[in-house]
Amino acid sequence: MTGQAAATGPAAAPTQTAASNQAAGRALIFSATFGVVYGLCFYYNWPLFAYYPQVNEAHFSGQLVETLGPPILWYGWLATAGLVAVAAAYLVPRAVSDRLWHGWAWIIPAAVVVVILIYERRWFVTPPQ
Amino acid sequence: MITTLLIIHGLLAVALLGAITHQAFSVRARTRAAGQRSFVDQFSGVNPAVYATPIMLLFIVTCIGGAFLYPQYRLDVRPTLEDLQYRAANGIFEIKEHMAAIGLGMLPIYVAYWKAPLLASHSVTRRYLTWLLAFLVWWNFLIGHILNNIKGLFA
Repeated sequence: MTGQAAATGPAAAPTQTAASNQAAGRALIFSATFGVVYGLCFYYNWPLFAYYPQVNEAHFSGQLVETLGPPILWYGWLATAGLVAVAAAYLVPRAVSDRLWHGWAWIIPAAVVVVILIYERRWFVTPPQ
Repeated sequence: MITTLLIIHGLLAVALLGAITHQAFSVRARTRAAGQRSFVDQFSGVNPAVYATPIMLLFIVTCIGGAFLYPQYRLDVRPTLEDLQYRAANGIFEIKEHMAAIGLGMLPIYVAYWKAPLLASHSVTRRYLTWLLAFLVWWNFLIGHILNNIKGLFA
């Protein structure tokens, strides 16, 4: 018996199935939104804030401050994507989220990974300026 | 301090890598032929559901460690790589941070599908979610080590 088959065990009761689908519905909205929004934040450079490690300061203005040293935008992209994903998970009606096809759970993040890898090939094919 | 954090980050990553690799092998399709079981079969013969929560926690804690290490990388390592024109090294780190972010975003749905009751109709989704997370973890683990040892690798 495989590990997964052993874990699956007997058929789940209908109430358990419904509860599982509902929990997965919100999680699916969160995860799908997070991946897509993170990709957009990175591509269009929409960090919620920029952190400047040289001076240990975070700035919420949209403009980068060059005098403060090199910025870290990753924290800000994560924050933007996290906030939007949480909002989406709670704003999308359950009637919609519970009916989404579960395959989107892995297809959307996988697509984001592929798009990012294609975009980031610039580091390997573009000669140094 | 930063060296201690780097070592802890690396050790957590090893634990995460082991857990996700066990789980990723355990969800692959297998023949049920009785008889002698290979090493791979025995490596895969774990209950994958019990790995989900530890994997989620290890992923989060490892990412937090990486986030604390990031400023040092941004101030010291990246400028050095740029000076040495190691453009690809900076590129693979950029991808590493994106993979970590996507993995973090995937955790809620990953855990939701590994939570009991495990519906048989979701087994394919569980498998691909696990494999995708395993790919992200393996990428970040290998790239982290390459960058950490880059002075020795490309001296």
